Amino acid sequence: MIQMIIKRDGRVVPYDREKIALAVLRAMRASGEGTVADAARVAEAVESALESRCGAEPPQIEVIQDMVEQELMHHEFTNTAKSYIIYRATRTRARESRTTLMKTIDEIASKDAKLSDLKRENGNIDGDTAMGAMLQIGAAGAKAYNEAYLLRPEHAKAQREGDIHIHDFDFYALTTTCTQIDIIRLFKDGFSTGHGFLREPQSIQSYAALAAIAIQSNQNDQHGGQSIPNFDYGMALGVGKTFRSQFRKKLTDVVEDHLDEDNLADAVAEAIEKTEASFGPNALEPTEGFDASLASHLYDSLCIEADVAAHLVARARRRAEDQTERDTYQAMEGFVHNLNTMHSRAGAQTPFSSINYGTDTTPEGRMVIRNVLLALDAGLGHGETCIFPIHIFKVKEGVNYNEGDPNYDLFRLSCKVSAKRLFPNYVFLDSPYNLKYYVPGRPETEVATMGCRTRVLGNVYDPEQEISYSRGNLSFTSINLPRLALEAKGDEARFLKMLDDMLELVAQQLLDRFEIQAKKRVYNYPFLMGQGVWLDSDKLGPYDEVREVLKHGTLSIGFIGLAETLTALYGKNHAEDPAMQEKGLEIIGRMRKFCDDKSQAMKMNFTLLATPAEGLSGRFTRMDRQRYGRIPGVTDREYYTNSFHVPVWYPISAYEKIHIEAPYHALCNAGHISYVELDGDTAKNVEAFEQIVRCMHDEGIGYGSINHPVDRDPICGYVGVIGDTCPRCGRKEGEAVSEERMQELIKKFPQIKAFVGIE
Amino acid sequence: MTVDSKQSKMGAGVGFERIRRITGYLVGTMDKWNDAKKAEERDRVKHSIAK
Repeated sequence: MIQMIIKRDGRVVPYDREKIALAVLRAMRASGEGTVADAARVAEAVESALESRCGAEPPQIEVIQDMVEQELMHHEFTNTAKSYIIYRATRTRARESRTTLMKTIDEIASKDAKLSDLKRENGNIDGDTAMGAMLQIGAAGAKAYNEAYLLRPEHAKAQREGDIHIHDFDFYALTTTCTQIDIIRLFKDGFSTGHGFLREPQSIQSYAALAAIAIQSNQNDQHGGQSIPNFDYGMALGVGKTFRSQFRKKLTDVVEDHLDEDNLADAVAEAIEKTEASFGPNALEPTEGFDASLASHLYDSLCIEADVAAHLVARARRRAEDQTERDTYQAMEGFVHNLNTMHSRAGAQTPFSSINYGTDTTPEGRMVIRNVLLALDAGLGHGETCIFPIHIFKVKEGVNYNEGDPNYDLFRLSCKVSAKRLFPNYVFLDSPYNLKYYVPGRPETEVATMGCRTRVLGNVYDPEQEISYSRGNLSFTSINLPRLALEAKGDEARFLKMLDDMLELVAQQLLDRFEIQAKKRVYNYPFLMGQGVWLDSDKLGPYDEVREVLKHGTLSIGFIGLAETLTALYGKNHAEDPAMQEKGLEIIGRMRKFCDDKSQAMKMNFTLLATPAEGLSGRFTRMDRQRYGRIPGVTDREYYTNSFHVPVWYPISAYEKIHIEAPYHALCNAGHISYVELDGDTAKNVEAFEQIVRCMHDEGIGYGSINHPVDRDPICGYVGVIGDTCPRCGRKEGEAVSEERMQELIKKFPQIKAFVGIE
Repeated sequence: MTVDSKQSKMGAGVGFERIRRITGYLVGTMDKWNDAKKAEERDRVKHSIAK
């Protein structure tokens, strides 16, 4: 006779047969078979089975559940048994996630980030601060819920066991990844941040300030980064406004001085208005005849002799130009400072921000590009290298690539700055897969990228709108490619079959997630959709579902570790053997074809991503080493190689590396990046630096950047390569410098704005 | 970035900043990198520019 049972937490409680009957009945209802009497009969059978197995000992709850399964099968309630098993598995999953969750929260709350890899999964969040830790705890809770309640069992299993990585999983139920914010459209007639309405800006200073606010506001509606695809074109409008108002002021000044009279502002403004009525708005480079016409209007209204009037106009123009240049520099400096210090997401992060520029050839646009580069070059208050925004220079033949192109000087300047500050990175409009969308005179058809590498250009959902602006990624999930290769044990056909299955699984998971995202309404994304940032969202009302307009975005399938995959399958990676390059392109090409086919079938944008992979690069490898052991070239390091990259440890020339990686850029239409690593001295050689950028352009790279060490000693302000010893003050890391030596250095390097702590 | 002024006069205990690129973004100090990415950074070799 059973009297007591043992619960999962070890408590011993009285036995109750009715509870078993009730559980069985519930399972029967779910499967649509059996009656109350059947349930009682099964419960009775469970009881006698338990008695014969356990005797007087109180049975464990798990044993009782095993018996229920067994007796359901025995009584031929097969469907009920199945639904009972699924119910049990779901409960187990929820229970386990609760336990893991508490452990995770405990680690976040009590461990120092230095000792906790978990807290450093995202290098941009400071897990040691209150808001950073709160963000991590929230993320942990959301992940546990999402896994237990939102994923299909097969997706949960694949995620848990490291077959796939669902990125930004904490935001699964909430939002989408990123957007290229068209600031021209946003600023027109002003916009609201949800906390107040901002009028259309009227000067370059307010254009720059509002651009930062737009990035910050949209960052709070999405889980990824934010980018401006048309920074030069957009800011140029602000430069134009500043110039026009400065010109009016300066002309008033010189006219008043000349006539030795006050209060001539209205008369001067009237002369300018009359001129603009026939020659169009004043600009840095006005329509021909503008200045002569203005001079004659000044003669008409103020009786200033023609040659003197012309002289005054020319002087005002020069002064206004100088003032606008200074204002633009300050605005760009402010913008960069702003993005490095402003907070988002409850203060735990600075917004992940990127700006694209380089192709606006108007004098206003050129002024923006020049000054944002100079501000980047100058660095922050103590000369520190700016972490944000990521600057992306758009390279285009006929615009800025060759000598004689209107913006060639700015391309050269960008190389000089990047050789010192690591930014800008380069996006290449001439690569065939970008060029095919390019329409001269329509900047929205120029490829722009998120700093991390995500890009959106083609549009299967709406082929009329194949543009960069106002679109972005919705979500992405990466496949652990080396796992498939290890599992296939060198059998290529088996590998490809498993890859196809995995692609299908991920596509389904992305569609499931889309379904959650699509059911949201405009008010769930007050800035992104409410202010019309996202393409076509301006056609929706606040309570409308966002489903249709979201389809402008992309669902992306990513991957990691092509190098390790090839090694696991064939013994060598794609840098070691040209035959392996063929194999690599076959594998990635197959994945791309899957995405294209899926896109056509669903009329949605499925794209292939060379995943950025910050968190998963270690996670997959750890799991695979545990499972398959330490395999040379595959699991013998702490990380898998990023996407299609040549392994970071493989010795190779910059040109060969670019040559090997370029064809994958064409295949990975959701985003790609290639790096070249230079030593500090080579990076200082701007000619060599430019040659590498040119090589990337000519080989058909889509997006690239050049890495070189940028170190800084906060004590003496030295920026450059620092080995063990600082070349300026001579101290080793953590060592002290004497006060006398500091005074000497301050005298010797007056250009260092401030030495930390001794201003 | 604030450093105790007395300490920074001496510089004792103050390290160097080392800015590196990770997944496209720059990170101001490698302290916050996760272990796998730290290992990857350590393994990176320079690429020669000889043709």
